[in-house]
Amino acid sequence: MPAFETLLYSKDHGVAHIALDRPKVRNAFNIQMRDDFAEVLSAIDDDPDIRAVLISGEGRAFCAGADLTEFGTAPSLVKAREVRWERDVWGQLHSLSKPIVTAVHGYCIGSGLEIALLSDVRVAAAGTVFALPEVQLGIIPAAGGTQTLPRNVGAAVALDLLLTGRRFDAAEALRFKLITRIMPEGRLMAEADQIAQLLAQVDATRMLGAINAMKQGSDLALDQALQLETRVAELALGQ
Amino acid sequence: MRDACHKVRQDDNVRVLVLTGAGAAFSLGREPLPTELATGSAIQRQAWIEQLRVADALANLPIPVIVSINGDALDHGLELALAGDIRISAEPASFGLTDLSKPGCFPWDGGTQRLPRLVGPAWASDLMLTSLVIGSAEALSIGLVNRVVPPGELTRETQRLAEAIAAGGPIAARYAKEAITKGADLSLAEGLRLEADLNIILQSTDDRAEGLQSFVEKRPPRFTGQ
Repeated sequence: MPAFETLLYSKDHGVAHIALDRPKVRNAFNIQMRDDFAEVLSAIDDDPDIRAVLISGEGRAFCAGADLTEFGTAPSLVKAREVRWERDVWGQLHSLSKPIVTAVHGYCIGSGLEIALLSDVRVAAAGTVFALPEVQLGIIPAAGGTQTLPRNVGAAVALDLLLTGRRFDAAEALRFKLITRIMPEGRLMAEADQIAQLLAQVDATRMLGAINAMKQGSDLALDQALQLETRVAELALGQ
Repeated sequence: MRDACHKVRQDDNVRVLVLTGAGAAFSLGREPLPTELATGSAIQRQAWIEQLRVADALANLPIPVIVSINGDALDHGLELALAGDIRISAEPASFGLTDLSKPGCFPWDGGTQRLPRLVGPAWASDLMLTSLVIGSAEALSIGLVNRVVPPGELTRETQRLAEAIAAGGPIAARYAKEAITKGADLSLAEGLRLEADLNIILQSTDDRAEGLQSFVEKRPPRFTGQ
């Protein structure tokens, strides 16, 4: 795989590791990073050797949010809407055929938090600062946050966090069920890597079956979802 | 309540609504069904309920609604509190939906639907079926309220919360509320479509330009709601 301008990429024992790599701007998510992400995710999706993905950030922060210096560059609203779905990197993340672990530290703001919300297992370094500041800037989250946040923490907490844009820490994020594990910063990557290795040991059919059953089932009535589970299990258990 | 909500709707300058109670309690009790209606037709009872239902008027407001719970919120009072977006409670306060323990009473102003959506079916069943009354600490731990503050600080903390929300983009705040509340009834894929479309509409606003400009210039934004 070619080197990326904004991402570090490596592969080891079935685990693909993507590190956001714009440390001078706290890994602010820009258009180049979106394009790099789209490319790396599509390669990961097609690579049968990869059974788990780990996403982290280089430097002092996971991701400080979208790079606002690039906002307003789209030629028209019609074009902007087209591009949103043409380069749907968020949809790619959500529907990736491998489990994703995100390890966040330092700052996990705006689109950084939305990346974490689109992943499966989230671990944070103690002291990580979270926020969704969009509404305070006259905009709303654009990477699924208005949908993924309430589905994780409930509408009331989501409204509180989104409308005020307030900062909260890893302990609060754990209480909100936004993340499931907190580690001392020095042990964050070792823990995240261990989780990714664990996920990579499970055969792909059953892993993907479990993830899809949960994701697709959450949009269904329970009786339909239980039928879905049976169909998924039948396929996942086949040799 | 319906008239007040209508007034709020008509006033473009209102960015946030605070609902609170005068006196010691937030709101308690319920209008019991008149006994003659109990033996009347279901249509008559339906008309009586429709006449008294008000929580929807509150829940359907496009702007953020803070419920500032100054004391006990029970039965119909709790249903009103459930219709807001963010609940901040003074300590101590009691919470419950105790209608089943009272003849002629039943939760008909959204309680059977909004309570389980907020706290999950297990807690909703325990509260509603056993008429259990809980305190503010427990209400916080099950997610029935967002924040609990000492009694002397409720007004100030509510004001701070309201000002924090009012400092954001007013259109963005309404759209964020719309994306979350309407998105709750949609599939994820449909919800993402809604979010994207609201985002595109926001790109046409002065407030978005002002928000980004103020960020670059490291100053507080001056939103006009345009």
